[in-house]
Amino acid sequence: MKLLGRDIPARELIGRIEERLRSRGLPTSEAAEVPEEGVEPRVDPLSFYLHSLEEHADPTQPLPLHTHRGGVGQLVVVAKWAFRKTCQVLINETLARQRVFNGHVRDSYAQLSAEVLRLRREVEELRAAQAPATPPPEPPIVPVRPRRPRAK
Amino acid sequence: MAVHQLIPSFVPGDATGQAALHLQLLLRRMGHFGELYAGEVGAGLESLAHPVSALRPAPEDLVLYHHGIASPLSGLLMHLPCRRGLVFHNISPAHFYTGTPLAEALISGRAQLAAMAPFVEVALGVSDFNCAELRAAGYRNVHTVPLFIEPERFAEANADPALLQRLRGPSPTVLSVSRVAPHKRFEDLLALHAELVRLRPEARLLLVGGYEPGSRYFKSLQRTAKALPGVHFLGRLSHTELVAAYRSAHVFVSMSEHEGFGVPLIEAMAAEVPVLAFGAAAVTETLGGAGIAFDRKHFSFLAELVVEVTGNQDLRQRLLQGQARRLAHFSAENSQRALAEALRETASPRPRPRRPARKPKRPRVAIVVQRYGEVTGGAERHAQQLAEHLAPHWDLTLLTTCAKNHLSWENAFPPGPDRVDGLPVLRFPVTRTRNIRPFNALSNTVFNRANERLREEHWVAEQGPLSPALLAHLETARDAYDAFVFFTYLYAPTVWGLPMVADRTLLVPTAHDEPPIRFGTYADVFERPRVLMCNTPEEISLIERFYPKHARARVVGVGVDRPKATPQRFREKYGVHRPYLLYVGRLEPGKGIPELLSHHRALRQRYADAPDLVLAGEAHMDLSGEGVRYVGRIDEQDKHDALAGALAVVVPSRFESLSLLTLEAFAQSTPVLVNGHSDVLVGQVERSGAGRAYKDLESFITGLREVGQERAPMGNKGLAYAKKYSWTKVVAAYQEELDRILEEKRQ
Repeated sequence: MKLLGRDIPARELIGRIEERLRSRGLPTSEAAEVPEEGVEPRVDPLSFYLHSLEEHADPTQPLPLHTHRGGVGQLVVVAKWAFRKTCQVLINETLARQRVFNGHVRDSYAQLSAEVLRLRREVEELRAAQAPATPPPEPPIVPVRPRRPRAK
Repeated sequence: MAVHQLIPSFVPGDATGQAALHLQLLLRRMGHFGELYAGEVGAGLESLAHPVSALRPAPEDLVLYHHGIASPLSGLLMHLPCRRGLVFHNISPAHFYTGTPLAEALISGRAQLAAMAPFVEVALGVSDFNCAELRAAGYRNVHTVPLFIEPERFAEANADPALLQRLRGPSPTVLSVSRVAPHKRFEDLLALHAELVRLRPEARLLLVGGYEPGSRYFKSLQRTAKALPGVHFLGRLSHTELVAAYRSAHVFVSMSEHEGFGVPLIEAMAAEVPVLAFGAAAVTETLGGAGIAFDRKHFSFLAELVVEVTGNQDLRQRLLQGQARRLAHFSAENSQRALAEALRETASPRPRPRRPARKPKRPRVAIVVQRYGEVTGGAERHAQQLAEHLAPHWDLTLLTTCAKNHLSWENAFPPGPDRVDGLPVLRFPVTRTRNIRPFNALSNTVFNRANERLREEHWVAEQGPLSPALLAHLETARDAYDAFVFFTYLYAPTVWGLPMVADRTLLVPTAHDEPPIRFGTYADVFERPRVLMCNTPEEISLIERFYPKHARARVVGVGVDRPKATPQRFREKYGVHRPYLLYVGRLEPGKGIPELLSHHRALRQRYADAPDLVLAGEAHMDLSGEGVRYVGRIDEQDKHDALAGALAVVVPSRFESLSLLTLEAFAQSTPVLVNGHSDVLVGQVERSGAGRAYKDLESFITGLREVGQERAPMGNKGLAYAKKYSWTKVVAAYQEELDRILEEKRQ
């Protein structure tokens, strides 16, 4: 255990408290998992949106069933599941055109984002050719796969 | 350049909205005009923030977008045809919400953050930690501009007394403030409390923050809490209740595992509560060595630490002193310095006003007043008289609105250049009319209690008049004027416009003791101008009472004209044949007219020979009554004729900074009968010896009798007093103050 603070005699304070814990028969240091904390990594927008469009392009597929509510919330989840099971044919029929449209959106985004990546590379190459001294660092264009919630 | 702000949601209690208001305050102090635009504007807050669809920035304007969780506004920002900036409030890591729909929105928010990077000129993080995330997301021009709080709003005097009483209890009381969300780790607070009650069975845990009663997470917390004594979920609190909660606590504890800044940490410092916090993300940075940060959640150890901090007075004092030092870092001044540095590289050069070929011989001064021209109102009349007397000496421009009616602020005059009595007037449209009934209801909810800035700013916005074009003019044309004279502390153009040009501003506050003068939002108005040109010593004492750090103040007042008057002319013109009491001015409840009518009615019932009551001016209420004569608006000559012929002039308002009517009555050798609840009026009567003050019906009747009996000697005293108010002296005082500004400018 570390205590940080300019206005406290940290070592003396820890010693005093640990002494008290010992006298109460309690362990003075518990094995605790220290959470990893740091700056969150960059989520590359081009690949993230492409991935999201791929995953969500088909509107006939359900989102994972989830509720943050207890009690009645569970009933709602069951009702949603039953609706999906019994009405999937109807859902497919209703959203058929949307599915086609979403597919086009996904594909055109994929094409455009690939174009953007190609153009960025070209710009970088041109810049590098024009100013060989010290070009300013560009943000990484290598896509980082975002951590995604696992679908149930 | 105008600096507008774009926020996803502007609703009460939202930290981003609070940050945007604070930023707007700093930007005004830096001379920038700017409005707030929000994706969602809370009900009733439309006067403070506009819908996003109304955002039409000019190419040279800067729009600062406040980013957090995924929002469609990020896409909008990238396409705005202006300069763009970003304020990053951080995003909770998605791993805390894996398997929930929120995770998608959190990751999307980070993707949007990275997507905006190439389109943004300047990025502001509220902590170094946030700035590090901005850099990792691809931003280059990144600056830390810390949030700030106003410590005085967390003083014990601002605590809700009922809740303070209810929460008062035995030590130790542990407090935590944040919305109930998994990454805030409320379960760890409960685990700490379980250890603490083993040591101190009377210990209490106060949990403040919004929660969803039906959520599975909250229900599990509730189940755990039920097994423990002394746990209180207080939910979302109003500002005064929040202060009561802070002020009831012995220790503030944060177990949160992710904070981009941690506003409650510094609020606790302001409320003089020792802080213990898990050192996650930006927490240790915010604490800056103050309070105690810990790296492990060893609950039995932490329970002993809570006991130590509450029981060891020496340690407690050292912690509080250290926290007070740390709190000073989160001042508006420090944030402004950081913001100025951040915007320095972004700022476009201010457009230089077209200067005349030859240097102007006379100083160029703008008088800013909420209404001007053919309008009724003491402050407006004051401004008009001053303008007329200063015009021979200065190159004056009157900056005002198109409004005529001070209740509705409806545009009555055409916008643009105008001339009133030969003086150039520049009128700007009012964008929002006022409905006085809901406004009065709003006043009842904010008067005579402590509020957070949002509620006070909201009241100012509803008070109006809202004229963004006037504020924009102050920014763009400020260099066209050598100085500004602002009139009346109360109205929005002064509250928001004065800070933009404070270094060359003379304020005529016309302050009187009314509830809004206690609002902290008026601090800039009284503390930042070069000088306060007050009307009476009582006014300075009043300002001193609420704003001890006010700008230099001097009593200047007004001059009084003494035109020749013929009472008979007024009597014949309006058919007034009996002795009469006179009131001239706005006829509305706020001026004490209902009380005056009631006293006059009682007077008539008791005495058959009671004088009539003559009322002149713009009426906003029913004036019927036996012996009451309403003569409508009258011109200047009629007014002086009426003043000269009155038995006495009655001044029934309790809110006066200087009664021009009183001085004009004195100038016509007529005594006055004034509201004794107004220190200013009582001071004027006492100094002159030319009238009486009343506080109730009996003193009204007694005063009237005395004034009637001694009318001539009192009138003479009044005349002698009025002669001291000369325009020559007033003009000299203004000249002197302007010379100081010009001298400084030259140096």
